[in-house]
Amino acid sequence: MASLATKLASASLNRTFVTLPATASGIRTVFNRSAHHSSGDDDHHGHGHHESPATPSLPALKTTSLNSNRTFVTVPAGFVQQKRYNHSSARDTTQIPDFNKYKSGSGDASNRAFSYFMVGTTGALSFVGAKTTVADFLANMSASADVLALAKVEVDLSSIPEGRNVTIKWRGKPVFIRHRTQDEIEEANSVSITELRDPQNDAERVQKPEWLIMLGVCTHLGCVPIGEAGDYGGWYCPCHGSHYDISGRIRKGPAPLNLEIPAYAFDEDNKVIIG
Amino acid sequence: MPVKSNNGSAVNSFARAGYNAVVKRNSVFLTTIFVSAFVAEMAFDTVSDRIWDNLNKGRQWKDISAKYTTE
Repeated sequence: MASLATKLASASLNRTFVTLPATASGIRTVFNRSAHHSSGDDDHHGHGHHESPATPSLPALKTTSLNSNRTFVTVPAGFVQQKRYNHSSARDTTQIPDFNKYKSGSGDASNRAFSYFMVGTTGALSFVGAKTTVADFLANMSASADVLALAKVEVDLSSIPEGRNVTIKWRGKPVFIRHRTQDEIEEANSVSITELRDPQNDAERVQKPEWLIMLGVCTHLGCVPIGEAGDYGGWYCPCHGSHYDISGRIRKGPAPLNLEIPAYAFDEDNKVIIG
Repeated sequence: MPVKSNNGSAVNSFARAGYNAVVKRNSVFLTTIFVSAFVAEMAFDTVSDRIWDNLNKGRQWKDISAKYTTE
């Protein structure tokens, strides 16, 4: 091996181009010839045991010098014409190790099932990781528990008598709660929705007909309308004169839409939770 | 050294049945992977929550809230 290394090093230093047969055994033969030329040793496997000469050359090969720094070495024809062996007659050069020690004894189907099990498990765990990452980022964006707790308002409806308005604050905005009388409910239902600017049935705007709950923000420019006022017995916005009826629907004035209905739910013991 | 093959063993036929049931069709394989990912996540969360609650028994708000709130 040392001789081979020195040879390669000196060859690259002198810019020597060597035309060699491309087979491994051919190369081995050439280097053996050159390294042990004096002894005439033809042993293919004796590389490591022999001390190689300090400056080995290729004396067996005919060297043609074309110019000072380029040397072409022509390998004799005998080395190029390799005899091709088949496997049975060349056991010495094709020593295939015994792999039986490493062979699996557990059967083909078990090995295949195990491989796919590992593939599937890897995929599943990666999916869990990716899903958790995405979920964490999304949870980071949503409101935290204390904000959500502040975002809900609970109102006791039993303290509101019939025919009265109550205004409460919810998320910085006023919310109107009206305990409507039976007459007002009938009045709200008697309106034909074809004549409305923002056509909506009264049933679409209330969960229980006697409780009208809506956002107290005029849909025109955001003023707070006044209750029990206006031409339609509902709300009146003093800013630009929008009239809302007893269902909070726009009837007259510049506002384009009915008063907005927030999300709310009735509790069992006469309470409403807005938000 | 002769290799003892287990191609005909019970484990091997079980593995073949599992392969045919789960892996053979890619749609089934992928569905199994995603479903088992959800199942594994839920199982992991449940088990780890239970371990945490066991280690911190009596120290969490849900354990002591009865002492400080009425209702």
